[in-house]
Amino acid sequence: MGANAVTTVPVYTAGEVLTAADMNITNSGIPVFATTVTRDAAFGGTGEKTLAEGQFAYIEATNTTQYYDGAAWQSVGVTPGLVFITGATFSAVTSVSLPTSTFSATYTNYLVQFYATTATAQADITARFRAAGADNTTSNYSYASNGVYSNGNDANLSGNAVSSFAMRGIYTNLPFSATLTISEPQTANEATVTGMVNANGNTTTALTASLAFAGLFNDSTSFDSFSFLASAAITGNYKVYGYSNS
Amino acid sequence: MATATPKPMVLDGHEVREMTDAELAQHELDKAEAAAQAAAQASRAASRQAVLDKLGLTADEAAALLG
Repeated sequence: MGANAVTTVPVYTAGEVLTAADMNITNSGIPVFATTVTRDAAFGGTGEKTLAEGQFAYIEATNTTQYYDGAAWQSVGVTPGLVFITGATFSAVTSVSLPTSTFSATYTNYLVQFYATTATAQADITARFRAAGADNTTSNYSYASNGVYSNGNDANLSGNAVSSFAMRGIYTNLPFSATLTISEPQTANEATVTGMVNANGNTTTALTASLAFAGLFNDSTSFDSFSFLASAAITGNYKVYGYSNS
Repeated sequence: MATATPKPMVLDGHEVREMTDAELAQHELDKAEAAAQAAAQASRAASRQAVLDKLGLTADEAAALLG
């Protein structure tokens, strides 16, 4: 039990002489309890407040702040919509595979932020789903990227029943970034990839390309990971988040 | 004495390692496929430009014409 923890929430009567201990309890703000058991025992007894709507409590055992809604104790705060799962930096590699079991039954959909800062040469970036430590190279990938280069030229890119998703590329010292929602990689439904790609570079010049990306894996395979592949060594970082299911 | 060319490195989860032989073969296949796609795209663009030149149209004018 911490120094702020109390075991009672007192109520005082008219004319009662208060001690320093009484005042310390009264001045403690939100009462702190070791557990929900000591919290429940602190109300309603002789000389204690009757538990009523609006009462707050802090529970040391769970590091949570709670309020009483008149019928039950509720936790303060909300469940975050995005929960960080994994992330890493990488240097001079030609493929980046998320750890095995990045996708699990905990979440249905995932947000992947991938950022390559540099490449050893102009490099095309592609991506594949992955399961049990191996990329899936079957011809079940279909994708359509609607895009434009910074000089106004068409940057559209598409593929039907091919062996990977193509996302244009990176031009040596200019970055490549992708913000992708990966939907249902673990369910019996077909997995999809939806997002935006900021690619810098094509085969000859350093042009920025903006791509709206939509990809489908046309089979109900279950995947636990995802890989980004480059035709030359790249350096950068990635982060993966799970979308809360409720 | 000839020395073996080092294989490309990969980040596999949190481990950095060399590509396996199978991964290297796939990597080379992917690069060849990407090069072929780029060549095909460049060829299509050249063909399109040749037609535009024959017609005396700019790309914007052709786009406006085709709606």
